[in-house]
Amino acid sequence: MLKTIAIRLVEAFFALLLMSVVIFLLTRLTGDPVALLLGDGATEADKIALTRQLGLDQPLPVQYLRFLADVTSGDFGRSLAAGNEPALGLVLSRLPASLSLAGVALAFTLAIGIVFGVFAAISRGSAVDVIARLVALVGQSVPSFWLGIVLMYVFAVKLRWLPTSGYGGWQHYVLPALTLGLFTLAAITRLVRSSMLEALGSEYIKLARIKGLPETVVVWKHALANSLIPVITFMGTFFAVMITGAVIVETVFAWPGIGRLAYESILSRDFPVVQAVVLVTTALFIFANLLVDVLYIIVDPRMRSRG
Amino acid sequence: MTLVLSRSMVRLSAACAFSIALAGATPAFADENELVIALSTFSEETMTPWAGSGQRKTYLDLVYEYLTYIDPQTKETIPGLAESWEMSEDGKQWTFTLREGVTFSGDHGEMTSEDVAYSITRIIGEDSRAGPASPMRRLIASVETPDPRTVVVNLNFPDFELAQGYFGASQQLGIVSKDYVESVGDEAAQADPVGTGPYVLDSQVKSSEIVFKTRDDVDGHWRAKPEFETVRFKVVPEESTRVAMLQTGEADIAPIGFDSIPAVREAGLDIVSAEATWSPVVRFGGLIQTAENRYNADNPWAKREVRQALNYAVDKQTIIDELFQGEATVASSDTPVSAWSGVEPYPYDPEKAKALLAEAGYPNGFDITIRTFTTAPGAELPLMAEAVSLYWQNIGVNATIEPVDWPALRSEWTEGRANGYVWTHRGFPFASAANGMEAGYMEKSVFASFTSEELEQMIQTFSTEQDAAKRQAEFTRIGQYLRDEAAAVFIALANEPYGVSDKVGSWDITTAYVWNFDQVGKAQ
Repeated sequence: MLKTIAIRLVEAFFALLLMSVVIFLLTRLTGDPVALLLGDGATEADKIALTRQLGLDQPLPVQYLRFLADVTSGDFGRSLAAGNEPALGLVLSRLPASLSLAGVALAFTLAIGIVFGVFAAISRGSAVDVIARLVALVGQSVPSFWLGIVLMYVFAVKLRWLPTSGYGGWQHYVLPALTLGLFTLAAITRLVRSSMLEALGSEYIKLARIKGLPETVVVWKHALANSLIPVITFMGTFFAVMITGAVIVETVFAWPGIGRLAYESILSRDFPVVQAVVLVTTALFIFANLLVDVLYIIVDPRMRSRG
Repeated sequence: MTLVLSRSMVRLSAACAFSIALAGATPAFADENELVIALSTFSEETMTPWAGSGQRKTYLDLVYEYLTYIDPQTKETIPGLAESWEMSEDGKQWTFTLREGVTFSGDHGEMTSEDVAYSITRIIGEDSRAGPASPMRRLIASVETPDPRTVVVNLNFPDFELAQGYFGASQQLGIVSKDYVESVGDEAAQADPVGTGPYVLDSQVKSSEIVFKTRDDVDGHWRAKPEFETVRFKVVPEESTRVAMLQTGEADIAPIGFDSIPAVREAGLDIVSAEATWSPVVRFGGLIQTAENRYNADNPWAKREVRQALNYAVDKQTIIDELFQGEATVASSDTPVSAWSGVEPYPYDPEKAKALLAEAGYPNGFDITIRTFTTAPGAELPLMAEAVSLYWQNIGVNATIEPVDWPALRSEWTEGRANGYVWTHRGFPFASAANGMEAGYMEKSVFASFTSEELEQMIQTFSTEQDAAKRQAEFTRIGQYLRDEAAAVFIALANEPYGVSDKVGSWDITTAYVWNFDQVGKAQ
């Protein structure tokens, strides 16, 4: 297991390095922040002075190497648009809001998705199966900004059960988590359904039934335990979907997370913050996948013996 | 299996019922002493006047005050922290006499000329991120404080409108306490801003909300008598969310788009509009005639007749009725200026437009590219581009619409690379006419979109004319010149609508930059 983790860490280092080059170049391809920071009546001299002040007058390779050197010492630069705050600090201050939302959404999708998947598998063709497949279809085809606004209209404006937006109590989590989770819910439902169908037709399930085990135990203990392995495999991807999907959901629901920070920073060409958001998100994604690998080894005895 | 299903269904139903029961505990919305304002952005979200753009004035104006204000009714400049001011004949020296007995919040003492001088120094400092920092830096030569109530400002060149312009409430010279900022440093001053305004910062959750409460000694404040003890600003980027917040009572005031006006009215809420605060236009690229790298004589619109034709071709009133819900007037300029109210807009006359095109050598029209984007305000700009392109098609001008994002276009514009196309844009009011002229129509400004030698001369004459009546006449002449030259396709002077809940009584929003949120009255 240690060897696997070591290999993954080396891979992570190179992935982050590559990502730093990509994001550094991509942000600069779309213009620079100088024009946005210049006030009314600014002159060419003001523009040149500001460009120099921001260090954007240097050749790109020089800017990149400086950036890389600073990043290795934990300095991602200072925000150009948000009051000169350290970019990494800004991202980290927004991270708890995003992680908590992604966590709630993931927990909700896992709970509902597994239940839906199991019911859909054990009662194929029934109403539950049809509903589960419908949820899967809707979840993967409806754009999240539209879904968010519809949910807001129904549950906040019409029924007045929940707040429209904002960050605070548990009520604030419901609509954004639902919106964020529906896409993943659909994926989990389909995944559990198909792997449950495979498991329920296997020899060990037949043996369990012959032994006279109650159906509840057969389904929820023996069949489900094995059906969850593919779900765990995809957990890292689901987590990434939650974080990247948060850009839209956080904007619609005024959620102060890194998704909205990314959106606002891109609009204002706030290079240091965009770079910090992308690198922190990439690091999170890599860490989540590493965690999944470890979990996979723990859950699957075959992997453990290979490890 | 049936057993499994039924038990689980029971559990699921119970969970649903529980959720609904909990949901019934509707979140507590704002109380009657709290005003909730949902804004599209907090901008930099910094708390000192020099640490960001003027957009922050929406909330900073509760804490900081200005030397002069604008009367919401008459739009005249009225005394603020300065109770009077005098300008030298040549317009190069201004003397402000400060109001006596105005104190900073907390135990930070009385405001003096030292505080004003310090505030000026910071706003023009090299590290200032204030919008007008650059032109103010060029303008101001020195500041003197002969006594605690007198501030003398010496200028490098004349500014006949300094009091209502850069030093007025629509700009960013909020007065800070020198002793306080110097003693605690900028970082602490950001965390706990101290001004002479009626409110103090109560709490701040970055990128979520900023809450202000009235200062302890608010009774007897020299300017404002706040009716709400707390003002809570929330940042809500999505417009449909802001509208939903108004409908549910989660927000009392929120800027909305024109499309949302009917929905807000149907919900029984009011609309309060800041009148003529922005001006949708179509700007021409490559028209800085005095700068080789920003002028393109090959564009059909380099000819004045073509620009005029493109103005005559557009039915602006229909655009106003359809896109702006009637909340605008047809424009003859890109800036709402009273001196230009007599300048006639181009009427809708497609036949005249065709004749002018033929006269210019384009009887069969030409191809043109319109770049467009959305801003706030300005969500309607792409639709306006569609409408304009259809009107132009009627006179043979085939427009291709290219959606872009504003930062990318702004970069091209300031780098002199926006010379081969036209773009939708918005003009804004300027507190001082000279500032507006300088920013929009002089070669030295990177944001100029049109100029000529003649216009530069006219603006120069206007800026240095000492006689007020002559200056006004020159300014009117400039407005007529810009209209006749068709410096842009002037569409409308548009309002900026706000949805307002029934908790709000009176609210006088003065301009796009003076919101008066500290003077919102409660409904009876």
